[in-house]
Amino acid sequence: MSELSIGLSYGAATLLVMFSGMPIAFALGTVAVTFMYFFMPASSLDTVTQNVYEEMASITLLSIPLFIMKGAAIGKSPAGQDLYSAIHAWLHKVPGGLGIANVFACALFAAMAGSSPATCSAIGSAGIPEMRKRGYSPGFAAGIIAAGGTLGILLPPSIVMILYAVAAEQSLGRLFLAGIGPGLLLVALFAGYAVVRARQEYKQALVIYQQGGPKSAYLIEEHFTLAQKVEMLPRVLPFVILLIGVMVALYGGLATPSETAGLGGLMALGLIAVVYGIWRPKDVAPILTSTLKESTMLMLIIGMSLLYSYVMSHLHISQGAAQWIVAMQLSKWVLLAVILLMVIVLGFFLPPVSIILMTAPIILPPLKAAGFDLIWFGVVMTIVMEMGLIHPPVGLNIFVIKNVAPDIPLKDVIWGVMPFVGLMFGAVFLLCLFPGIVTGLPNLVMGVK
Amino acid sequence: MSHGFDLDAAPAPLPRLAGNSALAMLARSLNWVNLQVLRLSMVALVLTSAVLTYSVATRYFFKTATDWQDEASVFLLVGAIFMCTAYVQSMRGHVGIEALATLLPASVNRVRATVVDIVSTLFCSFFAWKSWALFHEAWAEGQTTSSSFAPPLWIPYSLMAVGMSLLALQLLLQSVMHVAGGDGEGDAK
Repeated sequence: MSELSIGLSYGAATLLVMFSGMPIAFALGTVAVTFMYFFMPASSLDTVTQNVYEEMASITLLSIPLFIMKGAAIGKSPAGQDLYSAIHAWLHKVPGGLGIANVFACALFAAMAGSSPATCSAIGSAGIPEMRKRGYSPGFAAGIIAAGGTLGILLPPSIVMILYAVAAEQSLGRLFLAGIGPGLLLVALFAGYAVVRARQEYKQALVIYQQGGPKSAYLIEEHFTLAQKVEMLPRVLPFVILLIGVMVALYGGLATPSETAGLGGLMALGLIAVVYGIWRPKDVAPILTSTLKESTMLMLIIGMSLLYSYVMSHLHISQGAAQWIVAMQLSKWVLLAVILLMVIVLGFFLPPVSIILMTAPIILPPLKAAGFDLIWFGVVMTIVMEMGLIHPPVGLNIFVIKNVAPDIPLKDVIWGVMPFVGLMFGAVFLLCLFPGIVTGLPNLVMGVK
Repeated sequence: MSHGFDLDAAPAPLPRLAGNSALAMLARSLNWVNLQVLRLSMVALVLTSAVLTYSVATRYFFKTATDWQDEASVFLLVGAIFMCTAYVQSMRGHVGIEALATLLPASVNRVRATVVDIVSTLFCSFFAWKSWALFHEAWAEGQTTSSSFAPPLWIPYSLMAVGMSLLALQLLLQSVMHVAGGDGEGDAK
């Protein structure tokens, strides 16, 4: 069989097995082993397990379970609600301040926990009822939290970026730093939109009231004394110190990324024990169980994705596909648009981990040949995958919001997140125009590549 | 990524196997083993964090480098992950694309789910078999890692082999339950 036929069969078999509903890890493994049996030397089947072990036994990849543990520890404590309450108290006088407080709380929590759904759940369970109590429309309130939660896969420590660093052979420290500028850009865009939308809703409420209608909660002034504001800080500060401490350990040269993950995980467990009294085995067991459940599921997908990519490379499928893309001689930006569109479509069905590991060998060589910085592309790709978290058909964050606020109709949640999807597209456009937003900070801290 | 938040945190459904006491006993035994393995894996997870933190602390405070911490961490985590795969499967926690399941009639979907479980069992059995072969080779040849610490490689390979064998057994049980009509997962998925 020609390389093209083998490549097409490989793609078709993958689609067939994936859409059968077989777990992704087993599906990738089954396709890889079947093609090894038919198209590779018989001895290669003896090395399957060694290949998977060697790919998984990377200390960088194995930092993922530890970062997940850190996120689960913080996510299962009331830290999110405390963080939200404190920011709200300090920002309530700013116009649209409640919306901004929610965006800031999402960003800070995402940076501490590194998880999008955990952020939506933790901040949303406090933020959505509060925003609705203050007159915000349900869809708008849900949209702010769903979009704010997506920052979890962009701001460090991001599991998506760990995988990209491994797949693209890029520096993880540099990638983590590269996510900060775009993360802040998205925070600014989300917060700006929240202010504009809140002011619109405030004006509408005012007009209705002036015309003799009911008085919306928007029109009632809220007040916090300085003592109340200060009272909220002690429970929040330790977590902010954890966030800063982890960054200092990583970039101050004190610890490698994997050591930072271990240190952060242990510190998070220590903090919830001290601040919230969560230390008994029966309290900690659910945190460790959910960590192991997700880590096992993810790491098995990662291991099998790497085996899948190995077979794809050995059969020259990835090289052939990459050469084919290069031979099309697309202009630089058309190439980028096509690849990002492919990432969006794949995001309808696959989790980001599989998208990165399965497509990296095919898409990265043409992008590199076209002159794109792979650190920059990693960040842009992550933002595009963030969109997949808040738009149908998958939209994991949408379902988390439905869980937190079940009385908001799904239609309202979906319409509420759409402006934020538009803002993310805008952010990607800005990053294309001003790549320095991505590369500036890593170049400043770690030197120009 | 859903860490820290389980959309479906319900425990695994108990199999309806009243008519087959041998299968029911196997299911209960496997559940018991999975729970013990989960507890050990929890310890391994926390221990790994402690090892890595110890490494940072000794390097910072005593200026001494540890040469064993990375490999100890890898062994602990790889072990925990492979050993927990059966537990995760018992909860149907290995995610797949379920789009087709929602479109098919219940009877066809039941056949689909059974076939999926059988093919998964075959793949995992093959992987378990090759893992045992790898373990045997590492044990017989005294293979170690290439670092100066040089721990024996049979340790992680054995954990991988045991974990994948448990997974294959779990999948076999679920396949048999499908065929015996006692699982009901095919309709629920």
